[in-house]
Parts: sequence; structure tokens; C-alpha cells
Amino acid sequence: MTTDHIIRLTDVNKTYPGAVPVHALRDVTLDIRRGELVSIMGASGSGKSTLLNILGILDNYDSGEYLLDNVLIKDLSENRAAELRNHMIGFVFQSFNLINYKNAIENVALPLFYQGVSRRRRNALALEQLDRMGLADRAHHLPGEMSGGQKQRVAIARSLITHPSIILADEPTGALDSKTSADVMQVFRQLNNEGMTIIIVTHDPKVGQQTDRIIRIADGEIVAEPK
Amino acid sequence: MFDLFREIGQTLSNNKLRTALTGFAVAWGIFMLIILLGMSRGVLNKFESFNSDSQSDRLTVWNGRTSKPYKGYKDNRFIQMKDKDLKTITSRNNRHVAEAYTTNDIDTAVVSTQKDYISKGLRGVYPQELARGNNTLLYGRFINDIDLKEERKVIVIHRNSARLLFGSEEKAVGQRVDALRLSWLVVGVFDNEWNEQPMVPFTTVKMLNGYDDDVWRIDVNLRDVHDMASAEEATNDVRTTLATVHEFDPTDENAVWINNRFENYLRGLEGLNIMNVAIWVIGIFTMLSGIVGVSNIMFVSVKERTHEIGIRRAIGAKPRSILIQVVTESVAITAMFGYIGLVAGMALMAFISEMMQGVDFIDNPTIDLRIAIEVTIVLIIAGALAGLFPALKATKVRPVEALRDE
Repeated sequence: MTTDHIIRLTDVNKTYPGAVPVHALRDVTLDIRRGELVSIMGASGSGKSTLLNILGILDNYDSGEYLLDNVLIKDLSENRAAELRNHMIGFVFQSFNLINYKNAIENVALPLFYQGVSRRRRNALALEQLDRMGLADRAHHLPGEMSGGQKQRVAIARSLITHPSIILADEPTGALDSKTSADVMQVFRQLNNEGMTIIIVTHDPKVGQQTDRIIRIADGEIVAEPK
Repeated sequence: MFDLFREIGQTLSNNKLRTALTGFAVAWGIFMLIILLGMSRGVLNKFESFNSDSQSDRLTVWNGRTSKPYKGYKDNRFIQMKDKDLKTITSRNNRHVAEAYTTNDIDTAVVSTQKDYISKGLRGVYPQELARGNNTLLYGRFINDIDLKEERKVIVIHRNSARLLFGSEEKAVGQRVDALRLSWLVVGVFDNEWNEQPMVPFTTVKMLNGYDDDVWRIDVNLRDVHDMASAEEATNDVRTTLATVHEFDPTDENAVWINNRFENYLRGLEGLNIMNVAIWVIGIFTMLSGIVGVSNIMFVSVKERTHEIGIRRAIGAKPRSILIQVVTESVAITAMFGYIGLVAGMALMAFISEMMQGVDFIDNPTIDLRIAIEVTIVLIIAGALAGLFPALKATKVRPVEALRDE
């Protein structure tokens, strides 16, 4: 059944085994509509990173059901998971996660390398995305030669290059000053206005206030959904 | 593929010192392997050229003494071979015997002309002696079957004797010399580094010796011997034939002494092949230290790049892509530096080959294209193996954990 929901989580549970098992997520049910700008907020250890990892197909869940753009994400092989991450999800991380010996254009183009796109084509597309982020003049700079804000915009450009269904941002402003944070949030709002679904994990209320909806999580459970 | 190599080029240039040190170990290993293989090839070349010069498909039989009693005879009996044994050996052993021949000597003969004389004795020979004795015919002809049949008084003399007796080598053929109070027609001039004894027909010497048909050695040219089994078969055939004729135990190896040069050649070859294998083993173990270095460095590299691998996995790299990248990196380091070692080793061997020309125990100590290809294949396999385990480790890295690794 096709719905307008890009993400549907139903009773998702995740427990980390150990001497004392940790219930990271308990019966999480969550719907996110196409084109929403959503923030997930919670204290440290609340389960928000676990939720983000499951949404990003970086980690498995134990029970329940997760549909990403109507694709059931359950017990996938490593290859299939990599394929879905590459095509459907764009990641933006707090620490940017750029490869330090690759310049901006190479970092942005990297997801297309794993799709087998030719170097000329992927460099052209990467330059387009960098231009969109106002970084065309930094295309051949290494991450070490750029400011935090510039690095994060390179990371956003990389997340967009495969035209994913959603962008998952994990504390995207966590390593930035307030001015740069505002700039980055401006970029996210702009992308959202263009129709991109964006999920931001943050503990910064200012960031949460700029999203359409805040999903609060505590002790692995969603406690209050409406903003 | 070009993209992959570009990726690898970036990774390697990002770790220049590490790459250079690992590469040096690999290059050194291959360099040593090439030197060892080249020297071994040189010894083998010398062995093969020596054996091809002296006709390895031949056996020689000498008289001996029995070491076993047989059919009423006591042991320690002297076995005296006869001229007629040549025919018997040839006629009864079609399988491996092509021809049999011998020589007989008159030790005290003086050969003279009006001009000068030589005192080297005379050697009675069959036509096969030309090849057997490594003689080179310079002028005229060698002893032939008609000479033997008619017991002719013809003689073939060494070039030095020709110079002494006639003033020049060219003039000797057609001239006459005196020996044993007989006049001999010079029919040929030969050259031999080791033996200058004049040669005459075997039957003529036999006639001069009062038709004494004792011989002290018999040479047998073999055919259809191509391995140790057929060589041993030929030796046994000849011994059995002589055992039947001279009534001794066919298993008695002292009754007649047989030296099968083909057997010796095969044994020598076997020894050299063992040496060659040993050199490969030593070389490969030398190279292995370099390869272990590559593997070690790849493990370190994978560990250092766990976070990067996590990033790559998060943005869509499949485990196979990571595996291929790490293995190809390893093969690239091994092949690139191994090739440098290969070329340096070959260049040094070419230089040594020039320097060692004329040395007795070695001949052209260089490696051929086949060995270079074999070494290249070994390099690629070794590089792939060196990278495989670190690569498998890299593929097991879970993206969520790798991203946490800083």
C-alpha cells in the first residue's frame, strides 16, 4: 500500500545484549510524512542515536516493522543495506565525516563512485551541488583548508548528490558556532522548502524550534510528539 | 578500474613513508629471489651445455672383477671384454642400443716425416670416435667404415702435429707419414683441446697387434632414452648381455663397470632441480618477510582507516567494494615495488653475466621471460594474500561502530 508517509515505524524495539541488557528503544511507533522537517530531541542515552541509526539502516532492530519509502527494512543483507543507504538516504554528521585526503569535489562525488558513475559525470554533479551550497570556489580544497560551516555544507552537498528520499542529520550544528549553525539551518530549511524530507537529531532547542515537528524521546520511548 | 587505481594512488600517497618502507621490503625480497634464481640458472646452463657437448645419451663399459660367485665360478674373476662383444651388444639390444664401438691404442709409436717427428702413440678408432672424443675435423675426412673393413693404413692427425710434420695444417692431407715402419696416408686433420694422439682405423691396430681382440672399454650410443627408467633399462640390457656372454651374475655391478652418462645427466639434473626448488623456497621465504610486512601494514592501515571505512559504508560502499579496495591496494604495493626489485635484479644479473663470461662453473646467469612471468604471478598472488586478511577484517567493520571510531 502506497502512503504519503516516507517513514513508518511500528512497535520497533531494540535491545543491546550484555550482562545488563539495555532497552534502547521500546515499542517505538512513528510516522514521518514526505516533505516534513522533523527534529528528534532527547537527553543523552535516551535512544535518539539508536533511532537515527535504525532509520539510516546503519543498525538493525529486534522486532516491529520499519518501512522506508514503502520498502520494508528488515534483516537486510549488508549489500542491500549499502545499496538502500546509497540511493535513499543522505547523511549529515556532527563531525562532518569528510575524508581528509580528498578535496571537496571528491568527497561530494564519493557516493556516486559506488554507483559506478563515471568520474567526469560525478565531478560535474558534485560541482553542481557545491555551487548550490555556495562552495564552487572551494571545490578543490581539502577539508583541512575549510571552516566548520564550509565542511558541513560540503557534507550536505554530499548527502544530496544521489537525490535521496530523506536526509538524516545527526547533531548537524553540534560542532558549529551560533552564526554558522543558523546558516546551516537556513540551508536545511531551504532544502525542505524544495520538498526534501529532513530528520534532525539534536539536543539544541533552538534547532528543534526551527523544525515542523519535534519528536521527544526518553528512555527509548516517544514521549510527546506534537510540537 | 581507473577510478579504483586513482583511489589507491590517493591512499598510498597519503601514507608515503609507510608505503615506501613496506615497498622496500618487498623490492628487496624480489631482488634477492631474482639474484638466487639467476645464479641457479647460470649453473644449470653450464651443466646443460657441458652435457650436450659430451653427448649425454651414451654409456661406457669397462672391464671389471666379479664380486659374486656364479655358476661354479668364484668371485674376483677378471672379465675381459672382446671386440666381438660390440656386435653382440648391438644385435641383442634393439630397444635402446643404437651402436657400439671402442678404441685400442699402440702407446709407443713414433710418427715422422722427413721434416720432423712426434711420439704420441696411435689410437685405433671407429668413425664414432670423432663425436665421442669431441674432435673437430679441420681438413680432409675422418676414419670411415671402408678404412675399417680394408684395414687401411690411413691416419688423421692433430693440427699441432700437422704443423710440426708438414709446416702447415692445410698441406697435411694427402701426404704420407711413417709409423711402426709402415707408410700411412694422412686423410684428415683434427682439433682437440685435450687429446693430440693420431687416429687410425681400429681394425688396422688390431691387425698390427696380431688380431688380439681384447678391448678395455666399449662405448654404446643409446636411443629412446628419455627418462631415468629407460636409462636404467639400457644399462641393465647391456650388463645382462655381457653377463650372458661372459657368464657372470647379471646383478653383479662390479663384473663390468658401466657409466651411463644419461643416468648421470638425469641425476645431475635432478640435483640441480632440487637446488632450483630450494632456491625458490629460500627466495619465497625472503620475499615472504616483505609480504608479511605488507600484510601487517594493511592491518594497520585498516585499523587507522576504520572511521573512513565507516564513512564509506554509510554512504553506500558495499563490503565487496571495501574488500576489493584493500586487496587491490596490497597488490598494487606488492606489484609496484616487486617490479622495481625484479628489474633491479635482472639488471644486476645482466651485469654479472657480462663479468662472469668464461667462468667455469656458470654460464649466462640471467633469468628468462618465463621466470619473470612466474615471479610476477607469485607477486600478484602474494600481494592478494597479504591484503586478503586485512580486507576481510575491514569488511566485518559495522558502519555504526566504525563511525564512532575516531
